[in-house]
Amino acid sequence: MLKYSSVSSLLSGWERGGEMAKTGQLGCEAAVGSLTPAKKKEYKVSNRLHEGKRPLYAISFNFIDARYYDVFATVGGNRVTVYRCLEQGLIAVLQAYVDEDSFVGHGDSVNEIRTQPLKPSLVVSASKDESVRLWNVHTGICILIFAGAGGHRNEVLSVDFHPSDIYRIASCGMDNTVKIWSMKEFWTYVEKSFTWTDLPSKFPTKYVQFPVFIASVHSNYVDCTRWLGDFVLSKSVDNEIVLWEPKTKEQSPGEGAVDILQKYPVPECDIWFIKFSCDFHYNAAAIGNREGKIYVWELQSSPPVLIARLAHAQCKSPIRQTALSFDGSTILSCCEDGSIWRWDVVQS
Amino acid sequence: MPGLPLAVRETTNVGCSCSHSRTADQMCRQQSRVHLSTEEQLAAEESLSVYCKPVELYNILQRRAIRNPSFLQRCLQYKIEAKHKRRIQITVSLSGSMNVEVQKQEVLPLHVLLGRPVADVTEHFAVYQLSRACAITTFNQYGKKDQTEANFIIPEIKKLASDARVRNLNIILISNGEPKGASGENHLSLDHEELTSFPNIEGNCLWGKIPIDSLCSSLERCVTLSLGHKAEMLSTVNMHPCSLEPKFLNQNNCMTFSSHNVDPMNSYQVQVSICAQEIGARERSPYDSYSYNDVPTSSLPHIIRLRTGNVLFNYRYYNNTLQKTEVTEDFSCPFCLVRCASFKGLRCHLTSSHDLFNFEFWVTEEYQAVNVSVRTDIWRSEVVHDGVDPRLQTFFYCSKFKRHIRSKNLVQNASHVHPHVLESQSPEAAQEGSHEDYLQKENGTCSSYRPIAYPTDAALLNDNGSYKEEKLQKASFSETHLMSARHKSESFGSENHYAAECIEPDSSSPDTIGVCAATAQASISNDFAQLGSGSNLVPPTVLQFAKTRKLSVERTDPRNRALLQKRQFFHSHRAQPMASEQVSSDRDSEDEVDDAIADFEDRRMLDDFVDVTKDEKQIMHMWNSFVRKQRVLADGHIPWACQAFSQLHAQVLVRSPALLWCWKLFMIKLWNHSLLDAQAMNNCNIILERFQNGSSDPKQS
Repeated sequence: MLKYSSVSSLLSGWERGGEMAKTGQLGCEAAVGSLTPAKKKEYKVSNRLHEGKRPLYAISFNFIDARYYDVFATVGGNRVTVYRCLEQGLIAVLQAYVDEDSFVGHGDSVNEIRTQPLKPSLVVSASKDESVRLWNVHTGICILIFAGAGGHRNEVLSVDFHPSDIYRIASCGMDNTVKIWSMKEFWTYVEKSFTWTDLPSKFPTKYVQFPVFIASVHSNYVDCTRWLGDFVLSKSVDNEIVLWEPKTKEQSPGEGAVDILQKYPVPECDIWFIKFSCDFHYNAAAIGNREGKIYVWELQSSPPVLIARLAHAQCKSPIRQTALSFDGSTILSCCEDGSIWRWDVVQS
Repeated sequence: MPGLPLAVRETTNVGCSCSHSRTADQMCRQQSRVHLSTEEQLAAEESLSVYCKPVELYNILQRRAIRNPSFLQRCLQYKIEAKHKRRIQITVSLSGSMNVEVQKQEVLPLHVLLGRPVADVTEHFAVYQLSRACAITTFNQYGKKDQTEANFIIPEIKKLASDARVRNLNIILISNGEPKGASGENHLSLDHEELTSFPNIEGNCLWGKIPIDSLCSSLERCVTLSLGHKAEMLSTVNMHPCSLEPKFLNQNNCMTFSSHNVDPMNSYQVQVSICAQEIGARERSPYDSYSYNDVPTSSLPHIIRLRTGNVLFNYRYYNNTLQKTEVTEDFSCPFCLVRCASFKGLRCHLTSSHDLFNFEFWVTEEYQAVNVSVRTDIWRSEVVHDGVDPRLQTFFYCSKFKRHIRSKNLVQNASHVHPHVLESQSPEAAQEGSHEDYLQKENGTCSSYRPIAYPTDAALLNDNGSYKEEKLQKASFSETHLMSARHKSESFGSENHYAAECIEPDSSSPDTIGVCAATAQASISNDFAQLGSGSNLVPPTVLQFAKTRKLSVERTDPRNRALLQKRQFFHSHRAQPMASEQVSSDRDSEDEVDDAIADFEDRRMLDDFVDVTKDEKQIMHMWNSFVRKQRVLADGHIPWACQAFSQLHAQVLVRSPALLWCWKLFMIKLWNHSLLDAQAMNNCNIILERFQNGSSDPKQS
C-alpha cells in the first residue's frame, strides 16, 4: 500500500540524495539567498556614456595601484579604453588603445586577464586556444602554459589568482569544469622570469599539464570564477552564482570532492559570458543580467543577502560585466550595445 | 652538368657575346681570359649560383627517372643502340662478263643462302642449316638493280674473328642446273615475287660454297673498311652437282646435299663478285674510331669538337659576360644525361624538358654548341613587392599554355636564324637511317655498341649521381661561410684544376664528401648520427643529397632571404614573435619532449598508486624515464634497453638491494612475456655482478 504522500517523500528524498551526492556527502544543503532586496544600500544612475556601437565585454576597476582606485578600463573588440571616475558622476577618458588584429602570445582570443595582487608583474590570461598562460609583464615572458593532457577541453573563459596562496589559480571554461592549478613545482621558472635578460621568446616556457583539482560543479559553460578565500565562486547559465569549497585529497591530486556552500540567484541570467565582479574586500558582488538589471549580493553573509537590485528603464541590453569600486560605492556596467552605466551609492 | 670541361683551348678571344658574327674561337672562349678583380670574381661566383637551383631540380627529376625512364626515352635508347651497331653488308652478284663460258640458262636463277654445317661434312654428304635466301635471276651487267644481287648482313670483323659460330658460316650458291625444267623429278619451284621467303628447292641441283672464313681473312686485310669504304673482291666458286633434300628433323631449314648418285661431269665454275661494306660506319667521322687515350692532349679539344655527337655547352652567367664550357658526348643532355641521338633531338629535349633555362643552338661545320642561360622571367612565385602583405598574396599559377607558346617562339626564332642548320639535320634523314637499320634482318648475335674508353668519361658514367652532386656543391660556393676551408680553396681553383680533379679517382671522390656530409649531419641530430654511423646501408649519396638540399635552402637567393626577414614568424606554442636569427636557425625546440617536466609528471602519477612500495615506484620511474629518453619503442629494443639500463643505473642498484630486487623482478616479468631472452638477462646480471664485485674491491673493476 503505497500512499501518494510516501511517494512524494521518496521522491524528495531521492532528490536530496542526488543533491548530497553532488555536494560530496557533506550533509549540509547549500544556503540560497532570498531575492527580496534588503535595501541596505541604494544606488542611482549618475552617468551613462556610449563608447560606440560595438559591444563591450569587460570592465574593471584598478585595485593594484592604490593611488588610482578610481581608474577603470573597458574592453570591446580590439579596443581598450581607460577612464577615470570623477566627482558628481563624471567620467573622464584617459587613454584608448587599439590593437592590430593578430594573435601574439595566445593562439586565439583572450577571454580574461587577471593580475596577481601579491606580485603585480605576474599576469594570467585565459584564452579561446584552451590554454591559461602565466606572464611576467615586466620582462614580457610567457612563463607557464596551463594546458595539455589535463587541461581544458574547450575555451577557457575565466581565471583568477588565489588571494593568499601565490602558487594557486582557478580557471573555468566551456568544458563545464573549474580547474585549480598549482605552480609550486614550477616556481623556479617564475623566479627565473624576473632575472631573464635574453630574448623573451628564448625563455624555456614550461607546460603545466595537470591541475590539482577538477570540479564539475556546473553542467554548462562556466563563464566566471573568483576565489573567496579558499572557497570558489563560479557561475554558469543556471541563473545563479555558486560558492563552493574544493576539498582536495593530499594523496591523489586531480580528484576531490566539492562542497557547495551558498547560492546567489540571479534571475534572467541564462546566457553565457556574463561576469560578476567584487569589491576589493569581497564584501559584495555585482552581476548584470540579460535584461539590463544588476543584482548586488552581500557575499559573506549566510544566507546571502541581496543588497540591491538596480534597474533603469533605458538599460535593456544584456550587461556583460560589472565593476565594483574599491569600497563598493560605485558600480559600473558595460552592455552589449556599447554603453557604460555608472551607479553611485546614495548617501543616506 | 656532366661532361668534359673544355679547358685546354689556347686561342681564345674575349668578345662581346652579342656580336652577330661569331667565330669558332668565340664560341669556345674561356673565362680564364677575363681578368676580374676579387670582388668581381665573388660576384661572378654568386651569379653562377643561379644555376644551382634549376640544376638541382633536374637532378632530382633525373634521379627519379633512373629506375623508371619515360617511354620515349626508352624507345630512343633502343634506337640509338641499333644505330650504333656495327655490321657488314655483303653483296653477292654475278657478273655476266666474267662468266662467259657458263651458260646463262644453266646458272640462273641462282639461289644464294647463308648456311652453317650441321653434321659432319664429308666428301659426298653434307647437312646445312640455311637462312636468308636470295635469288639472282639475271647477271649484273644489265644495270637492273632488282634480283641481280643478294644482300646479307653479317657481324663485324672483330666478331667474325672471335666467334667460331659465326666463322662457320658459308655462303651457299644453288643452281637448279637444268633450266628447262623438263625433268619430272626436278621439283625446283621458286616464287620470284617472294624472294625473302625460303625457296622450295629439291632434287638435282648444282651447288657451291664460299666460306665466310676465307672472306674474313681478305676483309681483315682491308683496313679502310671500318671507315666506311667498300671492299670488292672476286671469287671463283666450283659448282658441284648434288641431290638436294630438305630436312626438318629437329631444326628448321636444314638441307641435305648428297653427291652419291649424281654425275660429276656437269660441274662448272662461276665467278662471283662480292662486295663488303660496313653499316653504321657511314655516319661516323674518322675521329670517332679513336679513343681519347690515343690522342695527345694538345689536340684533344680539337678532336672533341670534331667528333659527331659531341656538343659544346656554354653556361652563361654574370650578365652573360662569363661562361663555363663543357662537352657532352653522343648528344647527351648535360642535366639528365639522356642521349638524344641527334642535335635536333637534343634541341627538342632541352626545350621541352629543361625550360628553366634559355637555350641558343649553334651549328657550324665543325661543331654543335648550345648556349645556356638561366631564365629569370619564370621565377616570380615568391616575390613580394614592397607594401604588399605576403599573407594576403595568393599563389599564382603559371599556366602551361603560356609556357608552351614561349618555348615555341624560342624554337621559331632559332630556326629563323639558322635555316641551313635544320636542313643538314633534317629529322627525315635521321629517321630513315634508324628505320632502315631496324628493318635489316640479321641473326648475328653481336652487339657492337662501342664502349667509351677514356677515363674521364668512365668516371662520369660510373657514378653519375654523386658526381653531379659534387659538382653542384662546387657550383654553389658563393656561400663561402658555410663551407670548410678546404672546399673554399677548391672553389676558387681554375677550371684546369677542376678538370684534373675530375679525373683523379681518389683525392676528392664523391664518397669522401659524402662522409663529410654525414658527420656534419651527425652533429645536428642524434638520430641521424645513429643512422649514419650505425648502419652501412645508408648510401653516402643520400646524405650528401640531403646536405645539398639543405645548403640550397640556406643559400637561397637574396629575395627569399629578404622575404624571410620581412615576414613576422611566431613560435608555435608560445605564440610569441620570433627573432630573425631564430627564423634562420634550424632549431625549433618547442616540439621536443621536456624531460624535466615529463619526469615530474611521471613521478606525480606514480605517487597516485597506493599498493606499490617506494622502491617499486622508484624503479618504475627510473625505467619510464629511461625508456622515454632513449626512445625504446619496439619490443625488439627491450634486450638492448635492459642491458643499457643495468649499465647506467648499476651504481644505484648495487647500493640498494631492494631496488636491485625490484629490477630483477621486472626483468623476469619481461622474460615471462618473451620480451627479454635469457642471454640478455644473463648479460644484465653479469654487468650488475661486476659492479657488485667492483664496489667491494674497486681494484678489480
